[in-house]
Amino acid sequence: MGEPLLTSLPAAAGPAVVTVAPAWAVAVVAVLGALALAAAALDGVLSARSASAGGALGAAGRPLGEASRLLRQRRRTTVQADTLLWRTGGAGLLVAAALMLAVVPLGRWTVADLAVGVVWFNAMDVMVWALVWLVGWGANSAHALVGGYRFLAHGLGYELPLMFALVAPAIAAGSLNVGAVAAAQDGLWFAAWMPVAFLVYLLGVAGFSVWGPFAPALGTDVAGGVRAELSGVDRLVLETGRYALLAAGAAFAVPMFLGGGAGPLLPDWAWTLVKTLAVLALLVWARRRLPALRPDLFMEIGWLVLLPAALVQDLLVAVVTVWRS
Amino acid sequence: MGLREVLARSAARHAHVLVVEVPGWDGLRMATERAVLERGWRLAWSPADADVLLVCGPPGPRLAAAVDLVWEQLPGPRVRVDVLDRRDLPDALAGACAGLLDDDHHRRDPRARHGAQDHGGHDGPEDHDGHDGHAGSEHHGDHDSSDDHGGHDMEMSPGGIPLAEGGDDRDGLEMDVLAVRLGPVLPHWPAGLVLHCSLQGDVLTGARAELLGAEHEDGDAADPRTRALDRVVSVLALAGWDDAAERARRVRDAPATGDARPTTADHPTASPGLARLRRRVRRSRMLRWSLRGLGPLTADDVRRLGLPEDAGGDAYDRLLHLLDDVDEPAPPGGRQAVPVDALADPVVGLDLAAARLVLAGLDLGGLSAAPAPRPEATRG
Amino acid sequence: MYAGVALVAVVAVLSILGMYALHRATAVVADPLHTLPFESGWVPQQHALSRYHVRWYLASLVFLAFDVEMLFMYPWAVVVAQVGWSAVVEMFLFLGALLVAVVWAWREGAFRWV
Repeated sequence: MGEPLLTSLPAAAGPAVVTVAPAWAVAVVAVLGALALAAAALDGVLSARSASAGGALGAAGRPLGEASRLLRQRRRTTVQADTLLWRTGGAGLLVAAALMLAVVPLGRWTVADLAVGVVWFNAMDVMVWALVWLVGWGANSAHALVGGYRFLAHGLGYELPLMFALVAPAIAAGSLNVGAVAAAQDGLWFAAWMPVAFLVYLLGVAGFSVWGPFAPALGTDVAGGVRAELSGVDRLVLETGRYALLAAGAAFAVPMFLGGGAGPLLPDWAWTLVKTLAVLALLVWARRRLPALRPDLFMEIGWLVLLPAALVQDLLVAVVTVWRS
Repeated sequence: MGLREVLARSAARHAHVLVVEVPGWDGLRMATERAVLERGWRLAWSPADADVLLVCGPPGPRLAAAVDLVWEQLPGPRVRVDVLDRRDLPDALAGACAGLLDDDHHRRDPRARHGAQDHGGHDGPEDHDGHDGHAGSEHHGDHDSSDDHGGHDMEMSPGGIPLAEGGDDRDGLEMDVLAVRLGPVLPHWPAGLVLHCSLQGDVLTGARAELLGAEHEDGDAADPRTRALDRVVSVLALAGWDDAAERARRVRDAPATGDARPTTADHPTASPGLARLRRRVRRSRMLRWSLRGLGPLTADDVRRLGLPEDAGGDAYDRLLHLLDDVDEPAPPGGRQAVPVDALADPVVGLDLAAARLVLAGLDLGGLSAAPAPRPEATRG
Repeated sequence: MYAGVALVAVVAVLSILGMYALHRATAVVADPLHTLPFESGWVPQQHALSRYHVRWYLASLVFLAFDVEMLFMYPWAVVVAQVGWSAVVEMFLFLGALLVAVVWAWREGAFRWV
């Protein structure tokens, strides 16, 4: 703790967040699971709507059906597979997502009020690079290997813009503490006056969740990419991890860009959840609208469009912040 | 046990099906896909993802060997269905569903699999005509005998499979060249086609194409319009745009499911679904950006490959052509088959994603296995 | 402060282990199938695990330069309001220099590899 600048913030009456007992970690993982399930259900409904004319609402149960299918299915291992690294990668995604969500305050409560929560989130999303690649590497399968390296190529394109987008709210708040960043948006959400950073952040979330336009690592053209050899619970854990990452990314957008728990009528924890679900729904829906960004083409976009745009955004934010202080 | 039964029921309602098309049976394959999706089942992209292996048509001996090997890779519970007639589809799928629920059978399944290890017994198709253009890609002949771990040649070929060999890349660095076969069992891939590829990273540095045929020729072929729309489905799916691919599939299947279909091709906007699909594809700047410049073919290339006249341009041009001319009547008399040997040429030098997009968009008509006098296509 | 984080990690790992335990109880066959990797119906000629040729190695070097820069960016973000204009000028001169390097790398073709 001990953020000297916290006190200079407008209307920071009392501590921004309250740290609850560590035992609430169970609640963090439960919320993450519920959010991931909601995202999967929404994706099931939207998929069913485009596949057939009607009867889409029944598809909300799709994720549970798929889960039971995978729980019943036998696992696989391939000849000379690097099993330890393979399974670590698959299971790690869910752990990384949970660790991201750990620093997001639910309204005023948080289980881990880290002074450097923003950096923590960043560290977790970089860890995903290794995890996805390990899943692709471990199987000793050409398709999976190509998928794993496709993800790294995407990472090179989206990661730096994402980092600079995360810095923008931190500059304006003068703190790397997530609760302090949320509290600094008194009256005006950061999404409103740093829209470029918000947009780049959302792209980054899709990136580290291997979602939508960033899914070539799981592409149809390479038989499912990194998951080409996964079946049974191994596949279930990987898919859960992807949805969990998407959910954690959506949740982190709330204190960073959408004013945290601030809002009328509802209590602040409810507002956090409502905003999280809205961002999550937006990300799930966006998948339907966009074709894949091929990694070789996206590299130039990332470096020559997104990165300069994020830097200019940081410059503007820094100028405004110094001006006001 | 109650939980097991609930899970089994729910699992059988959400089964994933890997559909294999035998050359000449694309009409049956599309009818199968439709029937699978109507059940609320999904199409699988790899054996690991599949509960049901569904073979459309009678595979020839080498194609059958490939299918058998894939069958051994399904994790289980697994059900295999071979279909020859569209009219058998409802019964076949119902049978597959019942088969998935047969817990006792699936619990005994591991013992029914061949060999000491599960992957023994099947060797895939014999690769009898030569190798892939570099030393060390010798056939895996002794696979069965040495696949128990700790075999005699552990250093050079752990698990009975050799390691990749080095080769110079275009920058003059020595890098591993991996020999990988694409096809015949691969979704959104021309039926029966095999591309023996040399991969550096994910770039094709060399390729040789061949065709694994059907057992007999009297297939269930789709009409040209459906076939063109099927290519649209494949290109959109390979471009990673699932939603548009689903819509295209609905347009493709519309005649069969009883939707309004233009009786004559005099008005291009006769089918509202098709018009919407056209608008959607044309509006997507990301799709254009992704397909522009891929696999450019000059008029010369088109003649040499035996493709239709309008196959020139890049992958994006060809996709738009497909959508625009789908209601044009087919030229009378048909056209000569594309020699399969020529297919390696347009994709060598591309990366895997691009190569698949290019191949999916080409109107290969009927492929011909007649040999062309060029052993291998290599291009920097 | 990190007790909460550690416990979240523990709970996440436990829930994954729970999924595996549930799988053991419900799968038709509990032990994994030992199989060949999928290669369109062929026995692989070679192991896929090889020296994979990443053609974007130049881009990864440029990335590394920027990534190290992030080490300065985070502490800077906290103090920029206190230090004032000089901090803004210094940081963005530095970033500008790095961007010039990016443009140079782009002209050299570091971001195109196919």
